[in-house]
Amino acid sequence: MSFLLPKLSSKREVDQAIKSVAEKVLVLRFGRDNDAVCLQLDDILAKTAHDLSKMAVIYLVDVDKVSVYTQYFDISYIPSTVFFFNGQHMKVDYGSPDHTKFVGSFKTKQDFIDLIEVIYRGAMRGKLIVRSPIDPNNIPKYDLLYQGI
Amino acid sequence: RPEHRRETQRFWRENRVEAAERELCLVPAEEYERFSRALEQAVAAHRQREEERIGQVSAPRAAPGPAPGTASPPPSADRSPDPGRRAPAAGDGAGGAAGREPSWDAEQPGPSGMQAGPDLNWMEPGQALTFIGHQEAEGKGNVHTGAKPPWLTEEEAGSKQEIGPSYEEFLRQKEKQKLRKLPPERVGANFDHTSQTGESWLPSFGRVWNHGRRWQSR
Repeated sequence: MSFLLPKLSSKREVDQAIKSVAEKVLVLRFGRDNDAVCLQLDDILAKTAHDLSKMAVIYLVDVDKVSVYTQYFDISYIPSTVFFFNGQHMKVDYGSPDHTKFVGSFKTKQDFIDLIEVIYRGAMRGKLIVRSPIDPNNIPKYDLLYQGI
Repeated sequence: RPEHRRETQRFWRENRVEAAERELCLVPAEEYERFSRALEQAVAAHRQREEERIGQVSAPRAAPGPAPGTASPPPSADRSPDPGRRAPAAGDGAGGAAGREPSWDAEQPGPSGMQAGPDLNWMEPGQALTFIGHQEAEGKGNVHTGAKPPWLTEEEAGSKQEIGPSYEEFLRQKEKQKLRKLPPERVGANFDHTSQTGESWLPSFGRVWNHGRRWQSR
């Protein structure tokens, strides 16, 4: 499914995407194309991309190719999805330890659509952090690794 | 005079004016006579000055005033002011006005038939309009003969250039209109999408690494 979505393979391309997407939510999926959970997530992303085309733009980023951003966004688990609006990072409270990215895959397409809509509405109101509408049972669980912080 | 005295006394009583103040307000008869004589002289002198001034202004005019028939009587005997009608000199009187009338009628159709030139200075004494010459355009015709106006005769030359913005500019303008409808307090409203950033640019991560302004963590 990942061949349906556009890919970014260098820092310059990622920069270009962040700077150029205007008035829409930018969704960056960090992961690998052949990872099992990534495939599930990419499936959901590809199927909803058209319906969300007026609100969101979706790109896939390979963590092995753009190491700068892998470190900058502290991607420890894949897939991780980062959201931007007009060049500004958007935080979402999913009930999980990390608000800066969404770790794992979504259970249903509707979860992803609801999340994008909440992020879009919050951004239009000027909010940098929003609360996720997804049922906490559907959020993947993971342990946040603290490395000497 | 006796009624006036009674009235003044009534006025003093009703307003309870003191005796000293009454003296101040009363004008003795001699003073009043003196004042009226001085007033007559001053009025006569003023009217004489006005007549001289108007005589100087109206003398260079070729034609007489707007209403031809009125002969203004000599103002010396009459004290009441004349309503605007002034003869150039008091001595002309009726003879001068009658003699001028037929000559003015003869000139009435004159100015419209003559050429533009020095005869137009009846509006501005001392300044003539600048004459730029007769406009000779027998071949092309002009507005009176119903010729085609110049802005319509150049149809084949000017049609290559399009007037107004190009199509791309129009589309861009439509995008800008849509932008204006968005709420102004949205995230990144003032983000410059076209700024050139170097190799080491990283997007704002909302103070995750304790780096950046405090408002970025709102």
